Amino acid sequence: MEEKIHIDWLSVILYIIIVLFGAMNIYSANSGLDEPLSLDFSKEYGKQVIWISISAIVVFLILLTDYKFFNFSAYGIYVIIIGMLLVLLATGSFNKGAQAWFKIGAFKLQPSEFAKYATALALAKFLGTFDIKFEGKRNQLICFGIILLPMLLTLLQNDTGSALVFTCFILVLFREGLSGWWLVLGFYLITIFVLTILIPSWYILLFLLVVLGAIFYFFRKQKQLVFVSVLIFLASTVYTIGLDFAFSKILKPHQQQRILVTLNQDVDEYYVNKQKGFSFFKFEKKADEKKSESKRDYSYNVRQSKISIGAGRWFGNGFNNGTQTKAKLVPEQHTDFIFCTVGEEWGFVGSTIFLIVYLVFIGRIFFLAERQKNIFSRVFGYCTGSIIFFHFFINIGMAIGVLPVIGIPLPFMSYGGSSLISFSMLLFTFLKLDANRINEISRLY
Amino acid sequence: MEKSNRLYVFLGALVLVGIIFITRLFFLQIIDTSNYYKAQAYGSNEITIYPARGTIVDRYGKLLVYNDASYDLMVVPQKAKDFDKAALCKELMIDTTEFNKRLKKAARYNPREASVIYKNLPFHLYTRLQEVLYQFPAFYIETKIDRRYNINGAAHLLGYMGEVNERELEKDKYYKPGDIKGITGLEKSYETFLRGIKGKKVVLVDKFSKTQGSFAGGKFDSLPTAGENIISSVDLDLQVYGEQLLANKTGSIVAIEPGTGEVLCLINNPNYDPNLLVGQQRNRNFSALLLDPSKPLFNRALKAPYPPGSTFKTVQALIALQEGVLTPATRYPCHGGYHMGSITVGCHPHASPLDLENSIAKSCNAYYCYVYRSVLDNPKYPSVQAAYTQWTKYLNSFGIGVKTGIDLPEESSGIVKKSNYFERVFGKNWRSSNVVSISIGQGEIGLTPLQMANVAAILANRGYYFTPHVIRTIGDKNIVPDDFKKKHYTLIDRRHFDSVIAGMAKVCIPGGTAGRTGITGIEICGKTGTAQNPHGKDHSIFIAFAPRHNPKIAICCIVENGGYGADYAAPIANLLIERYLATDKTAPSSKPEMQKRMLTANLTGAKISASDSLKALANKPK
Ligand SMILES: [Zn+2]
Repeated sequence: MEEKIHIDWLSVILYIIIVLFGAMNIYSANSGLDEPLSLDFSKEYGKQVIWISISAIVVFLILLTDYKFFNFSAYGIYVIIIGMLLVLLATGSFNKGAQAWFKIGAFKLQPSEFAKYATALALAKFLGTFDIKFEGKRNQLICFGIILLPMLLTLLQNDTGSALVFTCFILVLFREGLSGWWLVLGFYLITIFVLTILIPSWYILLFLLVVLGAIFYFFRKQKQLVFVSVLIFLASTVYTIGLDFAFSKILKPHQQQRILVTLNQDVDEYYVNKQKGFSFFKFEKKADEKKSESKRDYSYNVRQSKISIGAGRWFGNGFNNGTQTKAKLVPEQHTDFIFCTVGEEWGFVGSTIFLIVYLVFIGRIFFLAERQKNIFSRVFGYCTGSIIFFHFFINIGMAIGVLPVIGIPLPFMSYGGSSLISFSMLLFTFLKLDANRINEISRLY
Repeated sequence: MEKSNRLYVFLGALVLVGIIFITRLFFLQIIDTSNYYKAQAYGSNEITIYPARGTIVDRYGKLLVYNDASYDLMVVPQKAKDFDKAALCKELMIDTTEFNKRLKKAARYNPREASVIYKNLPFHLYTRLQEVLYQFPAFYIETKIDRRYNINGAAHLLGYMGEVNERELEKDKYYKPGDIKGITGLEKSYETFLRGIKGKKVVLVDKFSKTQGSFAGGKFDSLPTAGENIISSVDLDLQVYGEQLLANKTGSIVAIEPGTGEVLCLINNPNYDPNLLVGQQRNRNFSALLLDPSKPLFNRALKAPYPPGSTFKTVQALIALQEGVLTPATRYPCHGGYHMGSITVGCHPHASPLDLENSIAKSCNAYYCYVYRSVLDNPKYPSVQAAYTQWTKYLNSFGIGVKTGIDLPEESSGIVKKSNYFERVFGKNWRSSNVVSISIGQGEIGLTPLQMANVAAILANRGYYFTPHVIRTIGDKNIVPDDFKKKHYTLIDRRHFDSVIAGMAKVCIPGGTAGRTGITGIEICGKTGTAQNPHGKDHSIFIAFAPRHNPKIAICCIVENGGYGADYAAPIANLLIERYLATDKTAPSSKPEMQKRMLTANLTGAKISASDSLKALANKPK
């Protein structure tokens, strides 16, 4: 039977719009002021053109590939990527310093970017395998294993940001039947974790006690609910005090500071406040000067980022006219902080349109994923959407100062070959699968 | 929940994130404008463009003061990190310790703002630095405008420029550290007109302080507005001529146009070249001038009160006439002076008795002892003290004992003692005989040369004066401050001036006290004075105006240790009158011998300065 290609053109058009818009912003952030519009391949915006070209070739190759290839070779690709990560770790330990890339000529290849793709394939393959149901405990463990292995290896390379991205696969598992309570629990634990660090832990306990009291008062009759509440309260108390103890007493000052910095805290101020007020565990050491330097760098980034975006006002300074952008005041502006350029040069109106376009794009991927008739394609689709969504959420949340500083790129926008190519592979592999869903049905039935 | 419905959880999450992000953006970009304004400050570097300072021309449009460019090396201390200090010091030809000292000082003032690190770069350094400065991004050259003076005198009139001090920086936000402003003279008085409005160019700099171009398309740039040009009232020719005549003498000359109050010349000697206080040598020259025992920085014309000597008789006569204790016909005898009890005021030989007119012409001391005592012992007043107080009021109406209000800084009001001063010295019921020396302008009376010139102007105007001022108009709109257009009337009626002026008209013609100094064809009304100087030779003083009718110039000349008024002051003043009234300034003087004598006379052997006699005066009464 003839295989028809019904590629989802809406996704392709949105993809092209975002990639080109990204290139424009990289150009803006990267070129000097009053510089004539030109293509300089020695500069990042010039290189980005090369990356876009390579991505186009990769996309073309994927579209030419038989859709069955991805299902067939999913584990193979996963194993190869894991192997590459291990090799990097090994050479890293040899060279006394973690390295996150392979050097190929002038270009750096970052396997961790491709690890997401490989993990998505492997997860889709496992869940898509005939007879496997996510409900089984053993299968669930395998799923977590598939996710945790590359996550751990990335973490060992000190690439915390990329490692965190792997948590987005939880979303996929949620779609595949993981109880929503797990998400709620995760959210609860993260909230308590953050709060324990930010405010004295006895505040949290006091609050939980009040909630418990309220439950006692209003739901006296429902013995089971009260019982569960007490259990949760006790567990939360242990968790909170444990966290407080671990943070205050077990972690070394530089580790504490790293967490504080990520949470946008002024380290010195934090220590002073912590020593003043009542808390269960006192810090013995004060922040040492050298380490608090790095915190200034982070808070500097976020502050500059907010200033850049704020400078845009309603309509922005216009393309290639952002003064903060041109002054190169935001570090990493062409990579992780590319949204600053959008904010400054396109203003509130432009940024809002951009956000909406991007969210429609992600929504479209989820929509396409849901309409898949086979599990492999559906899981892979949800993986694609979740990865892009997670990046989008963290990256822009960081740029506008509502989320901690976690350095991960904005898919299709940020400068970088590995990032653009891997995300293009991810998207078009899924679009290829989607295009063939008709064939898939005809094959199954 | 049906698993396929979980799609809506995902889509809902997208919408939620969208709403949160857009709300946050709305807050960041629209509501919270602080980021917008911070953006203006960050990444931009404001470069001040100094306006051209207004020029100053003389009353005929001859250039007195103009501008010349100078270059300062500026540094933004905070950005001055990681640069090749040794290389820069080598370019600047200064040693590193000195450089570090300057850098530290700049950082102490404000690490984020530009400060001068090398003032007045020599031209060869300026051109060299332009080539290499790109290696030192925290540094840049700021062009400033230096003053140049087209005359090597008139320094006390024009004033000089200097760096603003910290107090001024706080007071007036116009100035930035390292800015220069007028410190004295016209430069100070008309600073706000002359300085103009600064322009600025805001350039975009990246985090390496490298200029990336114009900030925001030049939206915040502004062009400087040049300062107002000032037309001074000074006659450059007269000023230079006067300085030549006063050369090698200590003293002061002030000439005023009576009909306007415009100062025609303001001369002091010792003087200095105002160009000395410009440019790189300024500080060195300034300390040299400051330490010079002849006090070239001292503005005698405005600050040194001299006993007016016999020139004061004109004022005494006018007050007595107004008080009704004297008439033009009043005669007083003189037998070698004034004798009363233990008091003797000597006089030179002359016919006796004299009437008022001739008492001026012959400058009889005795006559004015009678006149002044009649004023103080006037039965109209309950006491000598009351009469004296009234008398000081007359003086004040002449601008004596008060500041004339000239538009130059640091004017002295001269010396007029209050009645209670004499109570302390001579007891509660002091008598007119106690102060009889004031009759003839000696003792407890002091006038600055400016005040004496102003008295001459009052005489010329027959009873009023305009506040003396050194400008004609300000700027293109030819502004004249209203204060300068107001007539200040003395308490003397116009009719009383005639006989005094008639007497003054006889002074410079044969038979008068300066009978040999007159200028043919000009009816000069003058009055000589000889101020006793306990420390040396008397000061030669002369006040005059001319022509008698419709006067064009009123003048006062003081030559310290010059002897009689007729010896130096009168000839110099009359030569200046001649020059000022001449239609052809190049025409030779009608008194070539007198002119030559004045130009060549050297009195610098006599060391006593005005300030010394001032001190002596202050210590006199015991
Ligand atoms: Zn006499």
